[in-house]
Amino acid sequence: MFKYILTRILYFIPTLLIITLLTFLLSQAAPGDPVETRLQGGMQGAQGGGMSEKQAGEKAYIEMSKKLGLDLPAFYFSLTSQAEPTELYKIYRKKERENLERLINRYGNWDYINPYYLSIKKLEVSLFPIPRDTNTYNGLKVLKEGINSLLNNYDDNKLTIDLANMEAAINTISTIRIDSVTQIEKNYFAEVLPIFNEVKANYAAIKANPSKWKTKLPAINWIGIGNQYHVWLCGNRPWFKSSEDPSLRGGFIRGDFGESYLDGRPVSSIIKDALPITMGLNVVSVTIAYLMSVWLGVYLSKRKDSKVDRVLSIILFILYSLPGFWVATMAIVYLTTNEYGLDWFPTYGLFSNDLADDATFWEVLKDGGAHIILPIFVMTYGSFTYITRQMRGSMLAVLKQDYIRTAVAKGLPDKVVTWKHAFRNSLIPVITMFASLFPAMISGSVVIEVIFSIPGMGRVGYEAVLARNYPVLFTVLIFSAVLTMIGILIADVLYSVADPRISFTKKK
Amino acid sequence: MDTPNENINQDLEVVVKNPVTKIPENQSYGAIVKRQFNKNRPAVWALRMIVFIATIGLFADFLANEKPLMCKYEGKTFFPVVREYIVGLGGSWPTELGNIVDWKTAKYDYVIWAPIPYGQSEMDYMNANYVSPTGEQNVESRRWWHWLGTDEVGRDVMSGMIHGTRIAMMVGVVSMSIASVIGIFMGAMAGYFGDEKIKTSWVNIFLFLASVPIAFFYGFQVRSYAIGDGFQNSLFSALFQILIGIVIFAAILIAGQYLAKFITRIFKIKGETNVPVDILVSRFIEILISVPGLLLIMSIVAIAKPSIMLVMVIIGATSWTGIARFTRGELLRVRNLEYIEAAQSLGYSEWRTIFRHAIPNSLSPVLIAIAFGVAGAILTESFLSFLGIGVEAEVATWGKLLSLARKNFGAWWLALAPGFAIFITVTVYNLMGEGLTDALDPRLKQ
Repeated sequence: MFKYILTRILYFIPTLLIITLLTFLLSQAAPGDPVETRLQGGMQGAQGGGMSEKQAGEKAYIEMSKKLGLDLPAFYFSLTSQAEPTELYKIYRKKERENLERLINRYGNWDYINPYYLSIKKLEVSLFPIPRDTNTYNGLKVLKEGINSLLNNYDDNKLTIDLANMEAAINTISTIRIDSVTQIEKNYFAEVLPIFNEVKANYAAIKANPSKWKTKLPAINWIGIGNQYHVWLCGNRPWFKSSEDPSLRGGFIRGDFGESYLDGRPVSSIIKDALPITMGLNVVSVTIAYLMSVWLGVYLSKRKDSKVDRVLSIILFILYSLPGFWVATMAIVYLTTNEYGLDWFPTYGLFSNDLADDATFWEVLKDGGAHIILPIFVMTYGSFTYITRQMRGSMLAVLKQDYIRTAVAKGLPDKVVTWKHAFRNSLIPVITMFASLFPAMISGSVVIEVIFSIPGMGRVGYEAVLARNYPVLFTVLIFSAVLTMIGILIADVLYSVADPRISFTKKK
Repeated sequence: MDTPNENINQDLEVVVKNPVTKIPENQSYGAIVKRQFNKNRPAVWALRMIVFIATIGLFADFLANEKPLMCKYEGKTFFPVVREYIVGLGGSWPTELGNIVDWKTAKYDYVIWAPIPYGQSEMDYMNANYVSPTGEQNVESRRWWHWLGTDEVGRDVMSGMIHGTRIAMMVGVVSMSIASVIGIFMGAMAGYFGDEKIKTSWVNIFLFLASVPIAFFYGFQVRSYAIGDGFQNSLFSALFQILIGIVIFAAILIAGQYLAKFITRIFKIKGETNVPVDILVSRFIEILISVPGLLLIMSIVAIAKPSIMLVMVIIGATSWTGIARFTRGELLRVRNLEYIEAAQSLGYSEWRTIFRHAIPNSLSPVLIAIAFGVAGAILTESFLSFLGIGVEAEVATWGKLLSLARKNFGAWWLALAPGFAIFITVTVYNLMGEGLTDALDPRLKQ
């Protein structure tokens, strides 16, 4: 038995690996720049500012992308075209990188695209010393917008128009000014002009020397463990040694799930708060459902085709089809407000807001109990009806067996026949059902937690979806997968307890 | 005049020839199933209900529309709804009256309105802010009554319900079509080939593994921008681009296999190994069911633009495991039957044996999984739109209408009507599934 459980836990590993791969893939496909989301638009303010602000913003950006582990290539290996260089990941900004990828896809000559990109960056820096005043204002505006456009566009027509606009701005606007200190006439844009010409020449070179064939040939590059996925999963902090460097990450398997994009709170602490609530709700609800339904199933099967059986079967079927979120909505609308005179239960949350800090244990229990009745009811009735129907069915099948008839013929009392002979055997399919019930319950708790505003895993996941808070979302996803697998394992173990004929270790 | 008598005589003859009490010995499987199904009255009623609901969904535009069904304006006759319907299907129709007039205020010579004269996103400003169906409504006559009230901005709930029916039906059809294709294929592979039936050389496996990245490169990577831009245009063009990618992908893999055959033949390489198809597929299914479906769908929908079609596709792509398991079980049974052996000994190719002989005979249990699957898909979609995930702003769905009830507890009609519609639809599909289970169960055959 122990060996079996161990093998099953070993089986978890590849499954979990695939799930982490899947979530990683999703996070890569997610739109938006995570660094900018995390900096909460702090960069926007710096965009129009002077040199120091701009550089400070750039520095913050780089630091944040290092902190998020985004300064690395994505995976252990990469499958790209021949044209794409392996060091492209070093360009921090996601938008600029994506635009360069587009350019590479169009022309296939990184050798020419790289100097073009660098010269645009140089042009951007060269604008910093120019003072902003009424004379230079328009020209600077056109140039800055032009640079922005060059970095985010790949269409030839658009780029040509941008370059022409920028050239016009540099050449036509009078920018000859008298330097306040030296009293010498100075054309600020004159210094910019050669750099701009460089950009223009570089762009012309890209167009003149395309090597499109390179984009049609695949290239597989081995990158090694210094990649985003590895760092996200295993971390880059040394094992078995404490490290003071805060930029090193522990990785998923060491409990470092990253930080929430919204407030920088560690995801592990969010999960730590939410997980016990969801677990508690599910355990309570599963226990209630099993205890009640097993008994009811046996009861109904003993009275097959009686009036009670028929009426209850119909009611159970209707309950089974009732969508949980409808029942929950109805309960909230009709039973928790005074709108219809049925203000029986509190509406939201796990505890009242006005619950005193020094409330006694009984007060807390009473308050929490009142809050939890409706959610537990909605969570339970679905699985309750399902298990009851299955229990009744499997009990009926067992009662038809010959050995039951033998037991009755031997003159055994009814109770012994039912509970000792029939019950245990009819329990087996009901226990296997636990495996399929568990994932449904996890999904079900999303429903309940969102509607009743209970701060469990489901609600955390739902809020992460709305806020596009991917680290939280993917952690919730992986955790619920782990919970599901544990549930299935428990079902398998219970299975062998209920049926001694089933053995997971091979007999020799 | 004497036709009825003739009919009676004919009927009598039939009755005499085939007495009702005696069931013919060599009845076809289909006839047995049909008889068993018809015995189950709830299932028969569920089937009728499904047809009814599907009809509402199909003709939603004609049942609830802000445009007139037919109108005469300045001497010309128009059929605005028919036009909308045909244009929506991709056809062309000459004139659009809507560009000239406002539907509700225009002076028509003659007009027929739809039974519910409100569109799904049309706002009736005179009846905004949760007008109750039983309370006072600011309408001209009963003809314009909001039978299920309105929501905050004055949208007619009845119209939303009718158009939501179409979405619900589409969710069932689209997602289960996708799930069936994937599920039947995967299940058939696992069941028919098992773990030991496919034997292949190491060259084959090696070339297969080597051609996967190449096939991926040419199928998707080179074309990734075409696919991405397709998503910007419309989901259909994106799906078309993805389809081309899949074709290229498959073509390269097949070419790799032919190359492997060629190499093994030329160099006379021996030594074969089993491909454990069953284990691979079963493991994959195990992984898929370990991930809570709802959260997975939520995660995928979160990173894409809201689109009801995408939700349907994802539900289909994640809910095929049940169908695959049914198919697998059936094929495990079928593959050992004599007629499959006969097909094999006649020298039919494996693919022909699977698709022409094995699968058609194991489809009936899959129907059960599909019936329950439709109920599940409708439930999932309505819950997602209840949460406001993955639905465009202008589309009305049952789940979305139900979610409005949470904003205003006083609007009891918003809590009742959509929930009841979801409940009825889910129930009839569940009843249908139960009926099929009973009818297809050979143990009940008499």
